[in-house]
Amino acid sequence: MPFTAKSGKFNAKINTVEVGTGDKAIKLGGENVFPFYTFDDAIENAPKVGIEITDGGMEAEPECVQKLYEGCTTVVDMAKKAVTFDGVDFLSIRLEGGDPNGKNKSTEELIQLVKDVADAVDVPLVVCGCKNVEKDAELLDKAAAALEGRNAVILAAKEENYKTIGASAGLAYKQVVGAESAVDINLAKQLNVLLTQLGVDSKTIVMNAGTAAVGYGFDYVISTLDRVKAAALSQGDATLQMPIITPVASETWTVKESTATEEDMPAWGNLEERGIDMEVETAAAVLAAGSDAVILKHPESVRTIKTMISELI
Amino acid sequence: MAKFVTIGERLSTTAPAVNKAFTERDPEPILKRAKQQLDAGAVYLDVNIGPAEADGEDLMKWAVQLLQSNFDNVPLALDTSNKKAIEAGISVYNRSKGKPIVNSADASGRIENIDLAAANDAIVIALCNGEGIAKDNDERMGYCQMLLERGMELGMEPTDMWFDPLFLVVKGMQDKQMEILEFIKMLSDMGLNSTGGLSNNSNGMPKHIRPIMDSALVAMAMMQGLTSAIVNPNDLRLMETIKSCDVFKSNTLYADSYLEI
Repeated sequence: MPFTAKSGKFNAKINTVEVGTGDKAIKLGGENVFPFYTFDDAIENAPKVGIEITDGGMEAEPECVQKLYEGCTTVVDMAKKAVTFDGVDFLSIRLEGGDPNGKNKSTEELIQLVKDVADAVDVPLVVCGCKNVEKDAELLDKAAAALEGRNAVILAAKEENYKTIGASAGLAYKQVVGAESAVDINLAKQLNVLLTQLGVDSKTIVMNAGTAAVGYGFDYVISTLDRVKAAALSQGDATLQMPIITPVASETWTVKESTATEEDMPAWGNLEERGIDMEVETAAAVLAAGSDAVILKHPESVRTIKTMISELI
Repeated sequence: MAKFVTIGERLSTTAPAVNKAFTERDPEPILKRAKQQLDAGAVYLDVNIGPAEADGEDLMKWAVQLLQSNFDNVPLALDTSNKKAIEAGISVYNRSKGKPIVNSADASGRIENIDLAAANDAIVIALCNGEGIAKDNDERMGYCQMLLERGMELGMEPTDMWFDPLFLVVKGMQDKQMEILEFIKMLSDMGLNSTGGLSNNSNGMPKHIRPIMDSALVAMAMMQGLTSAIVNPNDLRLMETIKSCDVFKSNTLYADSYLEI
């Protein structure tokens, strides 16, 4: 009997979620096959790559990244520069200075910054909180209001604050709601269910199912992403068909491989290359496991990942 | 594995209110019962119009269009001994949410319903039964093979034939219950889908007992590999049991709100 190859395309597909407005708007998701399985069916929307800046500005960046932003004096300058790097699909601003256990910047100050950055660029925006659930409820609620009309991703609503952030970003200001769970597949599903029950349109939800830098419990990240995609596609589970967006930079640039100096670790080689390698390896792996977008920091990583995506799709 | 497929049984002429509504073409009682079943989590709805010898074609078309236009092309099982009525129903059926189910064929007088399903690219419920109740699993398996071969010869996918072991009433046939469960395992081992009128088991029992018996049986049957059942979806205990078994079988991923979805 002749061999007949069976297509691995599914009847179910990942939701298509549009982010941003106008010509620069991007579409996340939409695929009905496993990541990069273009031999099973065409993948309409290639995974997208974003670049991250923080409210900390130049000071917060690794030395090698600072050099690339030379001449920038404010966060807004950096935002303008960041969107000019090759391959950048969207800009992510992380408000880490809001953390009460850190700099504890006021919500007013940070929201003004979000507005200024938004006014300076026309690419799709992602706003990430400071990781403190109470402060984020306030911060991201105000950010959603400040960005009304921009169709931005508000990253993210967690189990502890999904009601506030979901109601604000999803219902009141019609942004895209990020649902964040930390490598816990049951919670990933539960959060999507809760947000939907709150009234948020499932087609405006994206997931951050959690991440880590490669080598740091990363196998759990991969199996979680794998299982999310498997349930969404092979079981047609509508509560897991949201595209996945993975912030990579915030994980990889803090681990020792990316921070230990060459003087301290001569055997490890050039620091900048190590930082880029960690970021590229992590991003490539989460994309291969099902992420529909990654957020990176180094323009060289953006370029490399963008090339990988275009070669595979 | 895919999630367990529930086929809601409450649109049946055996219920006087439904019978009257079908006869009078009164949409309200039909839509009300359909909504109750879908809200409770039914996947398919069975549309049992009885023998409907006089106006079956017209009635089935009316029922299919009424239900699909009101409930986003809900998939349906077309249940009548009138073959022309099933064909008429399929002629107006929208497949976007799932193929129509022909309910049902058997290895005796209704074997031609396999042909009907094959000709119309439909799913068929195939009763592993000839004349009278099969005496043992060898006989059941003989019928199963016969039905399967007939369908496959006509180009059907084996997965489009949902084999019904014929659930038997406990009061009177208690000693046959394990045999039925073993037969479901045999079907499952062959990679075949299965379904059946699960609540037959509790016929004649007090009303408050039936959900308990039905729930216990569905759990045991799902363990054996049953893939679908014709049930009353408004039996909360039964539906909670099915959803829980779907979790244990990893047919669906667990989330704290799993009973609500």
